[in-house]
Amino acid sequence: MSKSLVYESGLGSLLAGLSFEKEPQWLADLRAKGNELHNKMGVPTPRNEEWKYTPLRSLASVNWQSGEPGPAVFSQDPTNYAETAIRVFLVNGRFDRNLSEVPATAGLTCMSLRDAIYEKSEVADYLGSVAKIEDHTFAALNSACFVDGLFIHLKAGAMVEPVIEVIHVTSGDEMVIAPRILVVAEENSSAKIIEQYVSDGESKNLTIPVTEVILRKHANVEHVRLQDESETSYNVSLWETLQDESSEYRAYNVAFGAGLGRLDQNIYLNGRNIVTRLDGVVVARGEQILDNHTKLDHAMPDCNSFEIYKQIIDDKATVVFNGKIFVHQDAQKTDAKQTNQALLLSPDATINSKPQLEIFADDVKCTHGATVGQIEDTFRFYMRSRGIPKAEADAILVYAFAAEVLELISDEVVRERLEKRLYKKLGIDFTV
Amino acid sequence: MLEIKNLHAIVAEDDKEILRGINLSVKPGEVHAIMGPNGSGKSTLANILAGREDYEITQGSITYLDEDLADMEPEERAHKGVFLAFQYPVEIPGVSNTYFLRAAVNAKRTANGESEMSSMEFMKFIREKVKLLGLKEDLLTRSVNEGFSGGEKKRNEIFQMAVLEPTLCVLDETDSGLDIDALQTVAAGVNALRSEGRSFVIVTHYQRLLNYIVPDFVHILMDGRIVKSGDKSLALELEEKGYGWLDDLAASK
Ligand SMILES: Nc1ncnc2c1ncn2[C@@H]1O[C@H](COP(=O)(O)OP(=O)(O)OP(=O)(O)O)[C@@H](O)[C@H]1O
Ligand SMILES: [Mg+2]
Repeated sequence: MSKSLVYESGLGSLLAGLSFEKEPQWLADLRAKGNELHNKMGVPTPRNEEWKYTPLRSLASVNWQSGEPGPAVFSQDPTNYAETAIRVFLVNGRFDRNLSEVPATAGLTCMSLRDAIYEKSEVADYLGSVAKIEDHTFAALNSACFVDGLFIHLKAGAMVEPVIEVIHVTSGDEMVIAPRILVVAEENSSAKIIEQYVSDGESKNLTIPVTEVILRKHANVEHVRLQDESETSYNVSLWETLQDESSEYRAYNVAFGAGLGRLDQNIYLNGRNIVTRLDGVVVARGEQILDNHTKLDHAMPDCNSFEIYKQIIDDKATVVFNGKIFVHQDAQKTDAKQTNQALLLSPDATINSKPQLEIFADDVKCTHGATVGQIEDTFRFYMRSRGIPKAEADAILVYAFAAEVLELISDEVVRERLEKRLYKKLGIDFTV
Repeated sequence: MLEIKNLHAIVAEDDKEILRGINLSVKPGEVHAIMGPNGSGKSTLANILAGREDYEITQGSITYLDEDLADMEPEERAHKGVFLAFQYPVEIPGVSNTYFLRAAVNAKRTANGESEMSSMEFMKFIREKVKLLGLKEDLLTRSVNEGFSGGEKKRNEIFQMAVLEPTLCVLDETDSGLDIDALQTVAAGVNALRSEGRSFVIVTHYQRLLNYIVPDFVHILMDGRIVKSGDKSLALELEEKGYGWLDDLAASK
């Protein structure tokens, strides 16, 4: 890569302060590879097409530290973030035993990734098997320097009823936090997972999570991700999922937080009869820049994928959507639908949206549509004529726009929490 | 209750004059019917009463309960009891009828210094209204007007009116597109709401509605002016003769 495409970055030097002695060889190899790749790719400038709208200059100039060596403390009431039976807190990327609660559940392993590396043989098989770190400099960095994270394993046939709540807390300033999440759902297993990324107060960190998800045959997983960090934070994430035959994966990306948030979410449909949802709700205000790159990779026949992205942009915020759908030659009878809608609430708000369909099979149904709009006056007047004040009418209309996606989430507790967060973000304070 | 004097109004966008000197006086408890050919300005008048911003008043005044209505925001008018049943009700995807109405009722209560209704109270309150109007309960959970048939939309307008309990009800062609049963339901809904303190301005093309909702006055609006007023027999006369015989009257005004 030519020098002009990267910023000078102090990120690589982070590694100097970290020591990973006595780790298994496979992990040492992964770290070495990550290190090498990150050093090669650096921090991309906007001249790099994939990072065109994600300005990383300010990020490159921070004097980043690696996450505190000892466990950081979370000062908030944890029950504000989790209310169901299985809850896991990762504070600055480290599994927190005091805050977490994982009751014994048939077929479920939910534990510190660090511990799992030594105790569970599956980790060696799966970790790094899905995430393509050669395409993602921050995921490469994560591989080189992650200290801990989470390992979720569902045994074949395990049906985990309560939703697994994962809260990633970042606290402190100018730290790079690199949680690593590995989810493996064996054949015929099912579970619901919500990951929330939150800040302890106005922390100013760079979070670079890598989440790898593997669904074996007939597995069924609902996976919600709420990105809700402070607007002084940076979050650059890679989330990749590999699906086997007849599995169903419903992924919802809810992006409200971080000053600069970038997610690359890729799903590989690697067997027949797969069902995939990849939906997003993005709300950006102030000067936030939220950039979501999604990819659905159809490798095999008879699969359906649905993607709805709803984006609400106010003030001077910028939202980027890049939606790739690849349908490979073998993937006949693919049915892929992509919809991408943006609602602009201010004349200074910006949306850059780019659907990118590449289809190499001939017998497929692929559609995509993108719309950009504003709040319609006829809707607004109708509501006002019933007594609903203008600001509230607007908030309700905006809410309804986003709710179309949130309503798809099957877990009621999760859905209601997200709806409440959406209300708060939009400044509405009433519910029915 | 409502006093309209020499009202002239234009379309704000293109300065086209639509209302050209309307005079109308509505007292508490009265029912006024407004009839007139397509494009004569009936909906414009109704929308101006509700506060639509597409129009600009160039002359004259609208006084409602001794206040200048023209100065009020649409929501303020609603809080003070003005209600418009739209000729073309708006579909709002994603907002349930219940949610919508509770927001409306509580906004009105708050504006009038009353406490908000709790979710439970409100549900009880609207279920009664649903029953009163002989509607189906699933109406409550459905999105406002979304996918409703023409007739269902009109019934929903009357339902909203029953819930909001307004003082001045303006109905713009609520009877258009209704089957005979629905027409009777709507009329019964209106009649149930008739009271000494509540007035109605009903825009309609058909005398038929006025058999069920008997008006105190009938006005004929042509080309932006009321050219003739009378009692309910005027509607019968119109039904028989059409509008042609009034052309000279309209031209001479
Ligand atoms: N917002 C607007 N912009 C442009 N023209 C308008 C607007 N509103 C009304 N008009 C015009 O003003 C005239 C009166 O319209 P209005 O809708 O008030 O008629 P109406 O009496 O309600 O007719 P109908 O019986 O068909 O409902 C029409 O010529 C219409 O095209
Ligand atoms: Mg009309």
